[in-house]
Amino acid sequence: MTFLLIVIIAVALLLIGIPIFVVISGLTLYLFFSSQIDISAIIIEMHRMATTPVLVAIPLFTFAGYLLSESGAPKRLIRLSNALLGWLPGGLSVIALVTCAVFTALTGATGLTIIALGGILLPAMKRGRYSENFSLGLLTTSGTLGLLFPPSLPLIIYAIVAKVRIDHLFIAGILPGILLVVLLSAFSVYRSVRTDVPKTKFKFNEVGIAIKETLWELPLPVVVLGGIYSGYFAVSEAAAITAVYVLLAEVVIYRDIRLGQLPEIMKKSMVLVGGILIILGAAMGLTNYLIDAEIPMQLLDFFKTHIKNPILFLVVLNIFLLAIGCTMGIFSALVVVVPLFTPLAEAYGIDPIHLGIIFLANLEIGASIPPLGINLFIASMRFDKPVLQLYVASLPFIAILLLALAIITYLPWLSLALIG
Amino acid sequence: MHIWDRFDEKISRVEQVLITILLTVMILMAFFQIVLRNFFDTGISWGDSLVRYLVVWVGFIGAAIATKEDKHINIDVVSRWLTGPQSNYIRLVSHFFSAVICSLLTLAALKFLRFEAQMGSTAFFKLPVWVPEIIIPVTFGLMTLRFTVRFIGEFARIRKNGFKQEFKEEK
Repeated sequence: MTFLLIVIIAVALLLIGIPIFVVISGLTLYLFFSSQIDISAIIIEMHRMATTPVLVAIPLFTFAGYLLSESGAPKRLIRLSNALLGWLPGGLSVIALVTCAVFTALTGATGLTIIALGGILLPAMKRGRYSENFSLGLLTTSGTLGLLFPPSLPLIIYAIVAKVRIDHLFIAGILPGILLVVLLSAFSVYRSVRTDVPKTKFKFNEVGIAIKETLWELPLPVVVLGGIYSGYFAVSEAAAITAVYVLLAEVVIYRDIRLGQLPEIMKKSMVLVGGILIILGAAMGLTNYLIDAEIPMQLLDFFKTHIKNPILFLVVLNIFLLAIGCTMGIFSALVVVVPLFTPLAEAYGIDPIHLGIIFLANLEIGASIPPLGINLFIASMRFDKPVLQLYVASLPFIAILLLALAIITYLPWLSLALIG
Repeated sequence: MHIWDRFDEKISRVEQVLITILLTVMILMAFFQIVLRNFFDTGISWGDSLVRYLVVWVGFIGAAIATKEDKHINIDVVSRWLTGPQSNYIRLVSHFFSAVICSLLTLAALKFLRFEAQMGSTAFFKLPVWVPEIIIPVTFGLMTLRFTVRFIGEFARIRKNGFKQEFKEEK
């Protein structure tokens, strides 16, 4: 009874905006205290988590992502995709989707996509005579699109929390990620054809110039993915190579970023890293306590008596995760919910890697779902539009995303096909 | 308060310098290890351990800066809809609670450090492990201070606004 009360208080504190790491630490401290475990155990767990070898990938990838976002890379990326896809009916909307996805994969689904790209893409779409609601809905739901592509932070964090192989998860995310982009693109093209949006002509010349311009950035995905896929280097090594490569490209070759700007970019990216690591660390203690108290086992018993069918289990899981993604946000949902559900899914015979992709796809989509999805609020702030208008604007896109989610959930092949 | 602000500015500058140096060393060291391993079939024995502790330092310092800049990850469902005096009170509660929890975490970190010192194991360069781990209580202590100062600031603002309102009513 007291435990239930404490949980209710913790949730209330979370909702009024107290930092997540504070609430989780408070809950853990209370639990340790009441079961006479020394409180230094919470620091032991934090320290153990923070010195996990693979964790070095988080600061390195995050720094590289911030560096890219401050450089001219987004503009070059838009120019290249415009040269390649501008001739399509609805080409500009496809460009917006592709750049948002790439950008989110690199910067880790932290709201940066809408803030950094929204300002360029929304006026461009308006000039391209797309309707306002269509443009707003597309850019809002694209705020977390690309979360399934490596090296996005949520993928790394899921792998650490659920103790699955990062390289497998990286590869598993590719096809489902492409599915999301393709379905949204198809919908956008269909809408553009119907509303007769003007298109540009395809010019080989422009493609050549755009490729030449971005020549030093194009090999990056190949280096990262190819290296990991071939098993040539580990994920943390790929992160180090990415960081050095991006530094060389943006500071030395393109000279988009002056040396003097680096400390500020380093600080900005490490504030995010610190914010994430401290939540991860705090949650480690809580998770271990819950496992010792056999909470996942009790949860499993409860589920096993009420739900026999794995398909039904997946339906319940989807609804639950969409709600969590909409309210809790991606990072806190990952660290708190994942450890509770991994044993459950195993009991229903769901592959741990496939489960990871289901989890992340749900959280990605949940972030755009009314009334509380974080993308809606970031977009409302960035585009200076009422949240209610964004609710309406996002609905068609959310419908498409839910269709994709169903395919990803009930077709494990999509996630597992590329893993050898 | 003024003295604290000036002191905190100095700390911020130290944090900024530390983050820059530590992250630079982390990137170079991690990259250098790959080069050594792949081209020379060797490696620096203490290199990986150093990189791991650099992650700890960068992470905890980043968290301390997040406290100063109000950038900790949170769910502000309620505060998005509340403005004016109510949101001030919510912030008051939030800062107070955060300061209390961070002070307990500082205490826990100090205890942890003492255990580690008693165990007597070493990190890199035969350095006792508690030396690089000292960053944990230091940053938690700093976070406690920063939350406390923000709590006091919020309290002062509410009192001032409260007086203003009474003053208006008298008029």
